[in-house]
Amino acid sequence: MSWFTHPWLTIRVQIGLGAIFAVAALPKIGDPPSFAHMIYNYRVVPAFAVNALALVMPWVELLAGLALILGVWRRESAAVVGLMLLVFIAAIGFNLARGHAVDCGCFDVHSAGKTREQLLTDMRWVVVRDLGILLMVAQVLVSSRKGERLSAR
Amino acid sequence: MSRIFGRALLLILAAAACAAISNFTASRERKMAWVGAYPRALDVSPVSESASGPAAEPPPPASTAPAASAAVASPAPSASASASGSPPGATPAGAKAFPPHPDRAFVEIGTDDAETLFKQGRLFLDARRSSVYADGHVSGARSFPVWESDIADRVKAFYEEGLDQNAPIVVYCSGGDCEDSHMLAEKLYMVGFNNLLVDRDGFPAWQKRGLPVTKGVKP
Repeated sequence: MSWFTHPWLTIRVQIGLGAIFAVAALPKIGDPPSFAHMIYNYRVVPAFAVNALALVMPWVELLAGLALILGVWRRESAAVVGLMLLVFIAAIGFNLARGHAVDCGCFDVHSAGKTREQLLTDMRWVVVRDLGILLMVAQVLVSSRKGERLSAR
Repeated sequence: MSRIFGRALLLILAAAACAAISNFTASRERKMAWVGAYPRALDVSPVSESASGPAAEPPPPASTAPAASAAVASPAPSASASASGSPPGATPAGAKAFPPHPDRAFVEIGTDDAETLFKQGRLFLDARRSSVYADGHVSGARSFPVWESDIADRVKAFYEEGLDQNAPIVVYCSGGDCEDSHMLAEKLYMVGFNNLLVDRDGFPAWQKRGLPVTKGVKP
């Protein structure tokens, strides 16, 4: 498994991961009410937290994304990003399980006007995609731990 | 390990600070209250059922002979409507009646009823975002974007205009799954409006039928 933690791979995964989150954050920062609407549609966040989450979460995505791209605090940023992915997967998975179709709101804050069936199909793919991104997080975490041990020597 | 937690927390606090600054400097359409009020935040049941009970449909169709029965059933609305300074001929004989329903926040109607009410000169409210409103709205409809920060002020100002609270008011958004109109209707019901009619087909159906549409920020 030495290839999995190879620095050549790590630098690319790290920048890619950072870019995904930084890009995803921008439309949300540009239009918080639309993002709040997206969060509301999931029907898993208590009323008092919807707006606060819509305001803060995109900034967490952007800062963590930028940190990963720049290579500072990469373990911390990867951990935060990983935690967010777990929450996204849980939220989508929960709604899939109860058959509540929602727009992902991952990279776009406007509803595309899709049918229920299309949305449910999209949601399944989002779970697969998020699991893939979670693998990227694991790569950064595992290889940075190795790096830390090496540098501590 | 504790260093990771500390830095992760710092990252989130920095994000919260950025969000606070960004929200503070945001324009009116982009600003948000930090604590929202969404009665159905955890509710996935269809909105018409939860709010209106089993009798969600408006009173019987207009085609047969509703004028007499409607007049008998609810003499109050037409009296109050004519007394409230609504446009002349607002409730002509034989037209479908839309009596007030103080027991529930709103009644859902379709495009046919919305068109009838439009021809009666009734008030229309647009619950969609102000940018969407500017792209085109029902002619004469006023903008009440429920997702924008000043909606409470707009509702309050609307209440203070002292309009007849029993006169029909049509509320719409984008049809389909859109619940913005229901949300707005709930807010107006809370301040005392008793005859809110949600056009469940919304603006897309209105536009499709070639009914009057106006572009721009003015009604």
